[in-house]
Amino acid sequence: MAKNDLQGTLDLLVLKTLAQNGALHGYGIVLHIQNASGELLRVEEGSLYPALHRMEQSGWVVSEWAMTETNRRAKYYRLTAQGRRHLQQAEESFDQLVKGVRAVLRYA
Amino acid sequence: MALIRRLRNLFRRDHLRDEIDDELQAHIAMRTDDNIACGMRPDEARRDALVRFGNRTSTREQVTAADAVLSLEGMVREVRYALRQLWKSPGFTITAAATIALGIGANTAIFSSMDAVVLRPLAVPALDRVVVVTEQDQRGPRQATLANYEDWKRQSAAFEEMAVRTEAGMSLTGAGDAANVQAALTSASFFPVLRVQALLGRVYDESECQPGRDAVVVLSYGFWRRQFAGDPNAVGRKVVLAERTYTVIGVLPRTVQYPSDADVFLPLAPTPQQLADRVGRNYIAMARLRDGVTVKQAQAEMRIVGERLATMYPAVNQGMSVRVEPLLDDINGDLTPLYYKLVMGATLFVLLVVCANVANLQFARGISRRPEIAMRAALGASRMRLMRQLLTENLLLGLIGGVGGIAVGAVYLHFTLLAMPPRVARYLAGWSNISLNGRALGFSLALAVVAGVVSGFMPALDALRVNLTEQLKAGSRSTTGSGHARRLRSIFAAAQIAFAVALVIGAALMAKGMTAMLHLPDTFAPEKALTFVVELPEARYGTPREQAVWYASSVERLRALPGVTHVAVTTSLPYSDDTWMTDFEIENRTYVPGKLQNAQRIAVSEDYFAAMKIPIVEGRSFTASDTADSVPVALVSRGFVQRYFAGASPLGHRIRLRRPEVRTPWLTVVGIAQETNYSLWDESHPAVVYMSTAQLPLSFATYVVRTEGAPMALAVSARRALAALDPSLPVDGEMSMAQRLNENLVGLEYVAVMLGIDALIALLLAAIGIFGVMAALVSERTREVGVRLAMGARRRDILAMILRRASWLTGAGLATGLVMAFALAKLTANLLRGVRPDDPVVFVSITAAIAAIALGASWIPARHAARIDPMRALRSE
Repeated sequence: MAKNDLQGTLDLLVLKTLAQNGALHGYGIVLHIQNASGELLRVEEGSLYPALHRMEQSGWVVSEWAMTETNRRAKYYRLTAQGRRHLQQAEESFDQLVKGVRAVLRYA
Repeated sequence: MALIRRLRNLFRRDHLRDEIDDELQAHIAMRTDDNIACGMRPDEARRDALVRFGNRTSTREQVTAADAVLSLEGMVREVRYALRQLWKSPGFTITAAATIALGIGANTAIFSSMDAVVLRPLAVPALDRVVVVTEQDQRGPRQATLANYEDWKRQSAAFEEMAVRTEAGMSLTGAGDAANVQAALTSASFFPVLRVQALLGRVYDESECQPGRDAVVVLSYGFWRRQFAGDPNAVGRKVVLAERTYTVIGVLPRTVQYPSDADVFLPLAPTPQQLADRVGRNYIAMARLRDGVTVKQAQAEMRIVGERLATMYPAVNQGMSVRVEPLLDDINGDLTPLYYKLVMGATLFVLLVVCANVANLQFARGISRRPEIAMRAALGASRMRLMRQLLTENLLLGLIGGVGGIAVGAVYLHFTLLAMPPRVARYLAGWSNISLNGRALGFSLALAVVAGVVSGFMPALDALRVNLTEQLKAGSRSTTGSGHARRLRSIFAAAQIAFAVALVIGAALMAKGMTAMLHLPDTFAPEKALTFVVELPEARYGTPREQAVWYASSVERLRALPGVTHVAVTTSLPYSDDTWMTDFEIENRTYVPGKLQNAQRIAVSEDYFAAMKIPIVEGRSFTASDTADSVPVALVSRGFVQRYFAGASPLGHRIRLRRPEVRTPWLTVVGIAQETNYSLWDESHPAVVYMSTAQLPLSFATYVVRTEGAPMALAVSARRALAALDPSLPVDGEMSMAQRLNENLVGLEYVAVMLGIDALIALLLAAIGIFGVMAALVSERTREVGVRLAMGARRRDILAMILRRASWLTGAGLATGLVMAFALAKLTANLLRGVRPDDPVVFVSITAAIAAIALGASWIPARHAARIDPMRALRSE
């Protein structure tokens, strides 16, 4: 059985975004998810932060303060090796979920 | 790793909180910037950014919750909030906390005394490693001989150290009034076996356990306080014990009182003949197990040693096996732990009733708190968060109750200690250790937490089942509980009734049995007799003749006192449980060693049967012509005749007591006395042989002075009369015979009273519980009742409707309770004679009484329902 839920899906999106883009701040992650999903996925922006902090506590991401191009101080998140491993697991488990759901939907 | 990160956050929490704020602010600022770049007006841009961001407060809370420290801080906030909530409803808080305090208080008090008496009666290191070694034959455990003890010590390897002790009653002179003291004569190893050190001075060593060098004495703490008023300079003082001068060398600590009745400890200094004695079974052997050796292993080893000794000395050791048992079991015996378990169990049940009661209060409160909870949920509090909040409140409530409970417990304990007669307390090793100590406080605290969680969990779950939209729409008017909660409340109320039924029936059976036992001795008119105990010092009353002379002349003196009708002397009073069983043989019948042929041996004076109103059914009683110089005679009980003479007349036959140490003369049976029970507990009526104090006296006796008026009024003149004969002879324990016999029942009285208190609390709470449930039901159904009345229902129908519901609850509770009561009754029946576990009177009357109380408590809300004004009820919704 694929272990997944909404929380897990948000974690997956964030981890994947960081894996593809290197260091990003929270706002950057939101923008990337919106753009990459072709505006299909719109996260409530605030809900990202509890997830980011939880992942930082679990050691999947690390953070540091830096200046943005527009000269604002922002907190940048970067994936750790542990985070990368978790992402791999989460991707596999999500694939299974999608396969499973699709199989049920196509069942005639 | 994650833990370290969290802990690190502990030291920079303000910084962390600021960081979170900065981060969220930065996000909103960047979105605003982008919006402006897309052409929005600045205020519009910021509003859009905020909307997209969502609930900022809630987000910040969730982010901080991810960090350990900040959630700790959240806890402080929660506690503060919970305190505020409790403060806002003082009625609820006081009622609930007081209820919990009552439950915890009773538990604390009983646990404290159980802990001291049963679990840790002696405060010595590793008490569980100390064992008692006894011998056992078919009659049960027997004390050991000194020679056997010496052999055990030499032949066993399981013990690190072995000790032996024996007891002796001695008279103390030279320190205030002449008094009887209980001496423990012990080997020097007694103290290392217990690993006890002197509180003052020192204990004696091996070199002082030699005849001639043994004139030293160690005092027990209680004796030191009583007889020496706790004098710190007692060490070095001289005392005269059994007319020999001893030097006080030490005092033992208060927490080590073993043997429990020992006043003084003297070195056991056996002569070589005594060391070789294989006949006198007067010694108790103790030992401390070597590290790593279990009681079982020690038992196995000692069995082999015992078998070896039995083959070597068949005459005295045949049929004897050696038994090793923990000292704790030996101290506790069988009954005391059972009493405590019963009372502790019952009291824990009371705590359950308390929890059920508080839970019901919480349910009721949960209904009025719905708007608050709905509001907090709407503002973004998660279920987890709300649950934590509610449980925090309950824990606080439990702890407040716990603190109150410790106060209640202290008071309860104080009265428990006050109520115990000191004469009885002396026989309970740990009684003097009872206090509200750290263990008791820990126990109370644990109970407080459990009570808080147990009573709060279900109501909290229920409170969270709130339907947000419905609730907010309805505003604060709605007072309907959920059907789920109603069902739970009903179950709790029924459970309370069930517990109350079980406890009340258990207590009632106990009380009934107790009363029956208290009245057993009524045939002896015990309130019209003065009793006291005399022990004749060996130095001046060493021979039977000297003792017989004393008894005869003292009885004569006492009889001359005005207001005295009879004076008798006996070694045992009826129902006193202090008789000795002795083997005997019958002349012209072969004596089979090992065959059980024994009887209680009681020495009485001439007037005993008349004074105690025990009829002589055949033959004659002792008379003045039975003297030390005439033929030794005996009376026997009816049970003796049935058992050993198959109902044929034993008159004229001769019997002889077989006492290993001394050769006793043949006794001619001259009479048969009516059956008399010398034990309160044992209903098997063992056979009795009565001897005359004029012919075969013993060195101790209880006096029975029958009076016309109040017995205690004679105490002073009786003492004076005896002092005129021998001023240095101690006279102890003057009290009426009724008092003396009642002391035998003190333990049971305690159990009965404590069970009674438990039952009362449970009953009260159950009544409050069903009242609360019915009242809530009525207030929830006000509108329905209004409709019914408006549609033409009569008030009587409403009353019946509500009471029917109450009957259901009560009925379910009673049925469950009766099942539990039967189980409890069986337990009680084991403790008491005369208790029938199916006593119909008790069961029926109590069931009826509790049903009446429950319905009575429901009557008030039911009547309230019947008086509802339909117009007002309908308008109010």
